[in-house]
Amino acid sequence: MFELDTRSRKPIYEQLVEKLKELIMNEVLKPDEQLPSVRMLAQQLTINPNTIQKAYRELENQGFIYSQKGKGSFVNPSEESKDSEKISAVKGELDRLILEALYLGITVEELIQLVKDKDASKRGGAKGD
Amino acid sequence: MIEVQKVSKVFDRYEALQEAQMTIQKGSIYGLIGSNGAGKTTLIKLVAGIYQPDLGRVTIDGHDNFENTKLKQRMFYIPDHPYFLTHYTTKQMAQFYRSIYPNWSQDRYETLVTSFKVNVKKKIHTFSKGWQRQIAFILALATRPEILILDEPLDGLDAVVRKKVKNLLIQDVAEREMTILISSHNLRELEDICDHIGIIHQGKILIEKELDELKSDIHKVQVAYKGEVPEHVIRKLSVLHTEKRGSVFLCIVKGKEEEISELILNTNPVIFDLLPLTLEEIFIYEMGDNGYAIENIMVE
Repeated sequence: MFELDTRSRKPIYEQLVEKLKELIMNEVLKPDEQLPSVRMLAQQLTINPNTIQKAYRELENQGFIYSQKGKGSFVNPSEESKDSEKISAVKGELDRLILEALYLGITVEELIQLVKDKDASKRGGAKGD
Repeated sequence: MIEVQKVSKVFDRYEALQEAQMTIQKGSIYGLIGSNGAGKTTLIKLVAGIYQPDLGRVTIDGHDNFENTKLKQRMFYIPDHPYFLTHYTTKQMAQFYRSIYPNWSQDRYETLVTSFKVNVKKKIHTFSKGWQRQIAFILALATRPEILILDEPLDGLDAVVRKKVKNLLIQDVAEREMTILISSHNLRELEDICDHIGIIHQGKILIEKELDELKSDIHKVQVAYKGEVPEHVIRKLSVLHTEKRGSVFLCIVKGKEEEISELILNTNPVIFDLLPLTLEEIFIYEMGDNGYAIENIMVE
């Protein structure tokens, strides 16, 4: 299903949470689809089942999946958690880019103007449709 | 659950363990790491019920384990040099274990010897080191132990066999909630399968933590400034180690990722990177903090 990078510095548990989120956000794992069982995934990836259990618990806490007793874990159809996740990812990206822009000597005013232009063109585009 | 409670062990005035504390939950894979001569094997032999503690107790599910046959039927220990009865073949060893382990599974044994392609009629001592180790694993897994104790287990196995063995171990943890205590010098090897880590040094357990927690508590920070380095800020952090590479500062810092980031970002660095550490690095810096630092020795 996917591979983890056991050579990476990132804890396996974090990698697992991120990978699964990615699959859910891109709808590779569809709403209400069953996730592979802990046992199966552990064997496939050769990683500790307790780590997988922990990742599933974390995903459940964050609202990405829900579990049914005796049946397993399923993808949560609710959009809410996915959106907030995407928003924070985009914000992080922007943060980095803005900092870089500032170091390159782009002024705050220029940046604000850029944002305003984009916003205006988006509105204009929406009207034109 | 395995509990090592304030255990001390002395060999001829040499204190191998001093009030060592360790707890291993059922179904957990516990990695024991330590410097050479730190007491790893002594601790493992205490858990295996081979040594008797001089002080303190070692219990498994609340029962003392020393010479406890009932408990030992539920556990298997593979020492750093696997032991087989002299001149025995794999088949004879299997018969021997079948007679003492009530959970022995002949099906499992046969599946495993077929899959590892072991000639069961050959005397074990004529096999290479790596093969002897594979045979030890086959026999261990065929006893279907609740607790598996492994001292340097993957030493001398090639990459394919290592993966195969790890996969078998993980199956047993996932399906039967087998508990594994594993010691190794190869920290990479432990990193992908353990959930708990104990670091032992000079007979004491320095740290015992969940691996993810251990990793999220210590970071490598790379930071550079245009002007002066704001040392008063750096001093506020719990720094284990600093290094200067050109104009870039490299520190190993303990603490929460968010708090460290916030503090450093407020000082307007030009470059700022925060990376998790590998288990190997954690080990090196934690040991350095305890007076076991790396010294680069110059030889002529």
